[in-house]
Amino acid sequence: MSAAATVVRLDDAGGAAVLLETSRALPLVTISIGLKTGSLVDPAGKEGSTRLLARLMRRTAGGLDPQVIDTRIDSLGASLSADVAHSTMAFQATVISRSLNEFVDLLVDVLSRPSLAATELERLQRETLAELKDSLDDDSSLARRFFRRRFFGSHPYGRTVSGTSKTVPEISSADVQAVFQRAFVRGNLVFAFSGDLDATRASQIAKRISEALPSGSVGADATPEPSAIPGRRLVIVDKPERTQTKILIGCLGSHTQDEDHVALLVANTIFGGTFTARMTQEVRSKRGWSYGAYSSMPIDRRRQSFSMSTSPKADDAGPCLKLELDMLHDLREKGVTKAELSWAKRYMVRSHCFAIDTAAKRVGLELDQTLYDLPTDYYSRYTEHVQGVTLEQANLALRKRLSEEDLLITVVGTESLIGNSVREAVSNLASTEVVAFDSDD
Amino acid sequence: MSSPASQSRDLRGPGPKAREKRLSELNAGATPDGQVTHLETVAFGPSLAVERFRFGNGLELLFCEDHSAPVIAYHTWFRVGSRHEREGKTGLAHLFEHLMFNEVEGRKAGEFDRKLEEAGAESNASTWLDFTQYNVSIPKDQLPLVVKLESERMSRLVLRDPQVKSEKEVVANERRLRVDDDLEGAASELLWATAFENHAYRWPTIGWMKDIEGFTTEDCQEFYRTYYAPNNAVLVIVGDVAEAALLKKLSAAYGALPASTLPIEDVQPEPPQLAERRVEVSKPTATEKLVVGYHSPAMGDFDHPALSLLAEVLFSGRASRLHQKLVRELELATEVRAFVGPFRDPGLFELFISAREGQTAEKLLAVIDAEFEKVRTEAISPEEIARAAARLELGLLAGLETVDGKASTLGFYEIVLGRPGAAFERLDTTRRVTASDLIRVARRYLLPRYRSVIFVRPDSSTSTDDGAEAAQ
Repeated sequence: MSAAATVVRLDDAGGAAVLLETSRALPLVTISIGLKTGSLVDPAGKEGSTRLLARLMRRTAGGLDPQVIDTRIDSLGASLSADVAHSTMAFQATVISRSLNEFVDLLVDVLSRPSLAATELERLQRETLAELKDSLDDDSSLARRFFRRRFFGSHPYGRTVSGTSKTVPEISSADVQAVFQRAFVRGNLVFAFSGDLDATRASQIAKRISEALPSGSVGADATPEPSAIPGRRLVIVDKPERTQTKILIGCLGSHTQDEDHVALLVANTIFGGTFTARMTQEVRSKRGWSYGAYSSMPIDRRRQSFSMSTSPKADDAGPCLKLELDMLHDLREKGVTKAELSWAKRYMVRSHCFAIDTAAKRVGLELDQTLYDLPTDYYSRYTEHVQGVTLEQANLALRKRLSEEDLLITVVGTESLIGNSVREAVSNLASTEVVAFDSDD
Repeated sequence: MSSPASQSRDLRGPGPKAREKRLSELNAGATPDGQVTHLETVAFGPSLAVERFRFGNGLELLFCEDHSAPVIAYHTWFRVGSRHEREGKTGLAHLFEHLMFNEVEGRKAGEFDRKLEEAGAESNASTWLDFTQYNVSIPKDQLPLVVKLESERMSRLVLRDPQVKSEKEVVANERRLRVDDDLEGAASELLWATAFENHAYRWPTIGWMKDIEGFTTEDCQEFYRTYYAPNNAVLVIVGDVAEAALLKKLSAAYGALPASTLPIEDVQPEPPQLAERRVEVSKPTATEKLVVGYHSPAMGDFDHPALSLLAEVLFSGRASRLHQKLVRELELATEVRAFVGPFRDPGLFELFISAREGQTAEKLLAVIDAEFEKVRTEAISPEEIARAAARLELGLLAGLETVDGKASTLGFYEIVLGRPGAAFERLDTTRRVTASDLIRVARRYLLPRYRSVIFVRPDSSTSTDDGAEAAQ
């Protein structure tokens, strides 16, 4: 079974792109409305605008009081969230099917008639600033934040979706209005329905929301491809009283349009993609150094990073970092083995059933394919693509795409405890930076 | 449009006579320990049924046939959790959960996971106060493998010094991750240790660090012999497999495992708390946090559904009373959360509130006290009750989309309440909760003398630089 086999595309919804899979298994309807616009459109110095807009829309639908909106959503047995990423945003809703009609009334107001009231924006800005302060308590988030900013540097992918304590207060009502008018046009929405509704109802809902929006479309994503920042760079994010560290090591990774994209996916599975992959075996099982040890290669419309992640205790940070660098070196130099490749392909093909075991997941994959401009058969022929990867392709992809020279290493920990050992663990360092965990830099 | 992948059939099994005949045939060729008895059919929501079986060795099976996807959830729940540990040996149940993934007789260390991943399985495990559970989700054609692997590790686990030593390091690192370097984890651990003086709920499931470091291979071997036996386990299997074929495989695999004599649990009831307890702690954080625990009823208690509903009214969602008051109206807090412990014995109604910069935890507590006074004296409106009940209903339904979600729900309610279908029973009970019920539980449980309060203060090493930026 593939996602494409059961998901249908409706063409009678007034021109809107509509995906649907009906399932009567539960009395629930899931609605995702995706836009190919994300935080990359935030004006410079006003990072966080799109995210503020999405949250504000939910709070000011139809000019209602936010508490009235929240109470109504809850009382209908529904949930509604707005998620903003760099290239996309999505309104995700689930509703008990008996309440679908009333919920749709509210959803139309969220998407087409938010008041975006200035007083509510100001309140939301204060709330966001407090949340930003709270986020400093989470070391994993800190590691990801500093990694992304240093990894992409001045490229738009290095900017923050949530904004910073400096940019959030700078965002005005006019700014969020501008993002709203630019993004919420008919041609920019993709609807994905699943669950307890049929094609007629899905079309009606999509049509109703589309017709409440002005016509228009958003141009192609003009974001340039990111390029590697040369050299091995070490960033120590200094936070007091850490018994443990968070290490992220990364280089440029893959683009979904690369001819060797799937080959690299398979190689990553062998290296750090599962619980029995090389990283877990070496770091966790053999040495007990970290609870988790993984590598990952996220996707977007442009090339993203390939990164390795571990959380060793302070005493083990240096040795663990050195081990990971040695493993990366071995991976590129010696590649993966035939036995590993066969194993990984079996794992990836057989486990794919869990990516498509519900209607909501199947529709979600189709939605992602549309929003991220993925190859049309990215998910529908996923297992075939995986099966087709050869040992030569996998090892060539590792050598071609991954770098040991242009590498960013981010370590969150207490510098006085780990500084020397992590510096010594990295040869040929081009730069070392120590930055306070609560720095805005 | 209806798709082939979305059909969840209403299956009430093969019917009593047909089942009796099949079981008779199966049992004729089975060992005494592998003989199966059908005990009951339990409704699981409006459209599914769960069949309860017991094998000769005491192993119980809850089976729900579900053809919504070509996959199977295979859960093994053991009736052992951190409550069965003792002082000086805390965290043993959780360490043991890790060790169950290591080595089995006749197989190399790590082969369990490798084989399962090769089969396309997703597997994990968890330990809590009352139970330890192992979950595997598999493509349906891989059922024989998981039956073999799971039955093997129930009785033929190999415990050697190197694995125990390495796994202790992993668990120590997990503790650093979830507790020592995690503000909320550390505060919650302190809260339970403050609120409980007698009951085993006073120590953390992950264990105290000195206990983790002190475990020996012999400790682990003794724990395995004591608690990992078929008569202390429940298999919960949901998915795309026929009952007869499943029973045959299980009987053959588990029928060779003998039952053991389980120890009588040395339960130490917690005496009533008579006065408020307060503890202050400093952490590297920019803002104050307030963590509060009110002693709350056991999950099987008549009052538990009402108190859970009251928690929804007060703390769950942006429309809840305390979110509205603390986050929106007064702008004192960033976040409010609460949780009524779903445990076999009385636990805690646990609150976590993060103050905004410059605000104090005392101020948060004063607002909470005022709101709690209101729910002790004034009726909550039918609309608020309906809002809270609808949230609970959505939460239950959303958790049942996958076979794994169904198995988790069944297993949890079986272990804690002894009734696998109790999730829906509780939903019905919740719908019958009245304003009077909410006043009663507020007056009974939400009193300052029954609570422990942890005040988390920013320590002096934390900068108040204004450079926050959320992570993505």
